[in-house]
Amino acid sequence: MGGKLFSVSLGNKFKPFLYLFPAAFFLLIFTYYPIFRAIYISLFHWSTDYPKKVFAGLQNYFDILREPLFWKVVKNTFLYSISTIFVSMSLGLLLAIQVNKGIKLGGFFKVSLFYPTMIPMAAAGLIWLWIYAPSYGLLDNFFRQVGLPNMGLLLNANTALWCVVVTAIWKHVGYYMILFLAGLQNIPDALIDVATIEGAGNWRKFRSVTFPLISSYTFFIFIINIVNSLQSVDLIYIMTQGKPAHASKLIVYYIYQQAFRYWNMGMGSTLTTMLALFLLCCVVLIFSTIGRKVYYEV
Amino acid sequence: MIKLISGGLKKINFLAYIILMPFSIIMLIPLLLLISTALKSLPELMNVDFNWIPKEIIFSNFSKAMSVAPFGRYYINTIIVVLMILSVQVVTISLAAYAFARLKFRGRDLLFILFLVQLMIPPQSIVVPNYHTLSSLKLLNTKIAIGVVYFASAYGTFLMRQAFKAIPMEMEDSVKMDGGGGLTAILHIFLPLAKPSLIAFALVSLSYHWNEFFWPLIVTDTVTARTLTVGLAMLTQATESSPEWTLTMAATIIVIFPLLLAFVIFQRKFIQSFMHSGIKG
Repeated sequence: MGGKLFSVSLGNKFKPFLYLFPAAFFLLIFTYYPIFRAIYISLFHWSTDYPKKVFAGLQNYFDILREPLFWKVVKNTFLYSISTIFVSMSLGLLLAIQVNKGIKLGGFFKVSLFYPTMIPMAAAGLIWLWIYAPSYGLLDNFFRQVGLPNMGLLLNANTALWCVVVTAIWKHVGYYMILFLAGLQNIPDALIDVATIEGAGNWRKFRSVTFPLISSYTFFIFIINIVNSLQSVDLIYIMTQGKPAHASKLIVYYIYQQAFRYWNMGMGSTLTTMLALFLLCCVVLIFSTIGRKVYYEV
Repeated sequence: MIKLISGGLKKINFLAYIILMPFSIIMLIPLLLLISTALKSLPELMNVDFNWIPKEIIFSNFSKAMSVAPFGRYYINTIIVVLMILSVQVVTISLAAYAFARLKFRGRDLLFILFLVQLMIPPQSIVVPNYHTLSSLKLLNTKIAIGVVYFASAYGTFLMRQAFKAIPMEMEDSVKMDGGGGLTAILHIFLPLAKPSLIAFALVSLSYHWNEFFWPLIVTDTVTARTLTVGLAMLTQATESSPEWTLTMAATIIVIFPLLLAFVIFQRKFIQSFMHSGIKG
């Protein structure tokens, strides 16, 4: 009532933009401008072969789409993200339900499950690199003790990516457990009260109130984290550098290699453009469907 | 009847322990291995017979790690970077969140979504163009370069907007009756009342940037700006053959220790903050 009166009487159309300016300034320069710049550079050959930029039209795009390695990287990236996030979230939900039972040692369980979140990806990668180390590492030691041969799982093209997935799950699972714990505990009492007044039983309350509220939130988190996970790079840099035989190469590492190892900025920008456009499509899809719902609910 | 219920309850709890116990132990194995390796001598490690508790516990790996790489310098750099990022972020997100939560203007919802795009496109994906921008600004290899791409935080704006929206209109009106403007309201009403969200954001931001690796790796190439995680990776990649694991694990402990210690001490606060935070960032 009073607030409305004041904002109308001030009548300053630019006032909101003054408040937004500092954040918008950095967003423009370091999130939006880079996307346009990547699009622009992607139209040029610019590499060690072409020290001066040469206009190439869409040639870079045709080249990359014909490159089998690109499709392998795309496949790796989706496999990696979907399996990592799906397994960590399912385990996280299972663990959250257990911890939420208010058992003894709850604090110990929470700490021992959550602490990997507090460790840098790079450090986690190093620890697991040591676990997977051929013959001396913990895993090969274990295999030897149970009578199996040394595997060198991280050096095997069939298993390397999955070794990294296991590390990522170890790193993420506690985080999702905490998110779900919040979800389980944060359901507004008012909604439960209304259901009680309406005469709903416990099961009915869970089915009609708790579950729908958690599930739209969960789905939102699931999608956002898959999208984030598509951009993982730290573990790959530390543990495999995409080896062996590109079996564990993910898209951001591929971009890094093209741009900063081979100094092929044209190709690096082409890949960046494709990734950014794909992510923008995800944003539009998410906010025009599930995000809108969550946005008004939260 | 009561007996039956408590029996059922016990059964459920039993199931909880059966799931949680082995899982917690598996989760702790990497940490135990990290500590065990850092306290071993290299000759003992190369002994094929693996043992969890070193025959002789030594601490020289830590001093050796400190002498091989300038971890003191990395510490100072990291602290400066995370504090710089957080303090700028608090200003930008409070102002933006106030506008989104309280002011009415055309295109507000669209602008808010344009802000949230940053959640989906973090700096590591646009590292190539951002590298060029910082290069043309002559900022490569500085601490500012590491921080500047994070000065606006979509996640923080989102979190603070939620908190600001929950604050009653009347409280803001009382400030305005006294002749105060939006800035006064933010400083004296919104930020104090949104303190839980602010603390949650601060903890998440600090730990995220303390742990960050890829972007600092790209924009730094000397010790003057390098952060702890980058220094750690450099240490292990300096040797062509397989890393000296005792040394590497000691260095890893040096890097992760402060945050892990803070986590163990302020466990409740950290877990609450991450619970509160929803999405990472």
